[in-house]
Amino acid sequence: MYGGGVEVEHLRKVFGRKTAVEDVSFTVEPGAVVGLLGPNGAGKTTVVNCLSTLVPLDGGRASVAGHDVAGDPAGVRASIALTGQFAAVDGVLTGRQNLVLFGRLLKLDRRAAAARAEELLTAFGLGEAADKPVASYSGGMRRRLDLAASLVVKRPVIFLDEPTTGLDPAGRQEMWEIVSGLREEGATLLLTTQYLEEADRLADRIVLIDHGRVIAEGTPGELKKRVGGQVCEVRAEPREQVLRTLRERFGDVVESGGTVTVRGADSETLAEVVAVLREACVEADDIQLRRPTLDEVFFVLTGRAPARRTGEEARS
Amino acid sequence: MTTGTEAGLGNLFGQGLLLAGRNIRLNSTADTISTMVVFPVIFVFGFLALFGNLLEARGIVYAQFLPPAIVVQWMFSVAITAAFCFASDRRNGMLARYRSLAISRGAVVVGRMAADSVRALLAIAVIIATGYVAGFRFQAGLPAALGFVALSVGFALTVSAGTSALGLVSRDPEAVSATLHVVYLPLLMISSAFVPADAFPGWIEPFVRHQPVTAVLDALRALAGGGPTAGPVLTAVAWLAGLLAVFSAAAVQAFRRAT
Repeated sequence: MYGGGVEVEHLRKVFGRKTAVEDVSFTVEPGAVVGLLGPNGAGKTTVVNCLSTLVPLDGGRASVAGHDVAGDPAGVRASIALTGQFAAVDGVLTGRQNLVLFGRLLKLDRRAAAARAEELLTAFGLGEAADKPVASYSGGMRRRLDLAASLVVKRPVIFLDEPTTGLDPAGRQEMWEIVSGLREEGATLLLTTQYLEEADRLADRIVLIDHGRVIAEGTPGELKKRVGGQVCEVRAEPREQVLRTLRERFGDVVESGGTVTVRGADSETLAEVVAVLREACVEADDIQLRRPTLDEVFFVLTGRAPARRTGEEARS
Repeated sequence: MTTGTEAGLGNLFGQGLLLAGRNIRLNSTADTISTMVVFPVIFVFGFLALFGNLLEARGIVYAQFLPPAIVVQWMFSVAITAAFCFASDRRNGMLARYRSLAISRGAVVVGRMAADSVRALLAIAVIIATGYVAGFRFQAGLPAALGFVALSVGFALTVSAGTSALGLVSRDPEAVSATLHVVYLPLLMISSAFVPADAFPGWIEPFVRHQPVTAVLDALRALAGGGPTAGPVLTAVAWLAGLLAVFSAAAVQAFRRAT
């Protein structure tokens, strides 16, 4: 059912004087899931908009399922399902009416559109709310309906632009399960995200972008190795003593904002930290092992903190 | 190589009508009844009560004079609603979604125009029916009456093209609507809509006589009341054709860039 991939070569996009995307190249093999990871305003949405033929390219070339984005935009649109950053469904209409409308627009007859709507509503856990106006849905339900709307007619390539931004943990979990399902069905998926955890969980490969440029690429494992596994965070007083004690034992220890962090940690590190602190007779308020945040990935890969911008720029 | 199944008039109109149905369903019944039925009735009777006697003294049958003005006012309202809808479709990502689908490139435009036409026809029907109760009559036969309706809808769609261009470059429906009210109210007030042009102060009278809203009103009154129609109708159609050329060029540009 699925087939075809995405190829992007030296993509460039300029808005006025601002270069949104510069020399971005990557490939999504057929059936693979690639995560485009970066902070707000990094150019992720612009890449997706270029690939879905919404905005013209200013340089480079790209193809989707074998169709050139500039030369055959209609062929591209017939091969993609796009779920944008906003839940683009009509609040006044019911979930079912929304899905039937998209089915009819894509030339399903009445019966086929109704059947496909029913199938998707059930599969995405919206069966009970199917005939309620979408305005009454929770954020998670809206996003699931939004994704369902893009899948009314099956397409080989799926673009998901920040599928879980703004969702609560439960909503995020449900969305992840649905995306994992699509992946198992063999869809070629390009998803953008600000969350390392999300890219880690869903993607085969991660393309890390910042300021419109690719700064790293690899499997989640490869990238995490470059960041140095997990980090162990310690909150304890007196901090200077804790810092000194831990530095005697571990290589990479930093302190910021009242927290002492041991980088390149794993579960053994955690046990060692506990033991070292006990030896030093320090009682910790909190010790935890966690994955590096996107900030830390950026810090390691670029040597500086990630760009912080408002969400507005990411849309244009 | 170009592939895909977007082209063709069948798609344009089939998908356009589906989107027209969607556009119409987005306005709730309660809202449609208040804005398209109750308000025009209040305006017709309200203005008649206010100015009826006053203009009778100048030899004007106000029940015949007024309904075309209310029609023009409501055509503006239809056009402003169109802009509001485009801006909110852009804000909430619907426009981007439609543009990413393998559907006819013009279907969104046809869907908007068809929905606008339906709203315009509803308003015209309500206003003319109210007018008939008050004493308004089509005095120049059926073809002229149909011409009245056609010109009114044509006016609505022309203005709609212009307002849509603005709606498509914005993501703020409320701001678009507020801006357009500031533009349209003076244009309507400083026209022959509610009082004849010679009732204005001398310095502004030339503007009143020669601005497009007056041209359309003169043509509508000629089509409703009889007398020479060719001149006023040609002037109005020329205005609309010119405005449509400019507005639709702007709207197409805005539509192509809207994500």
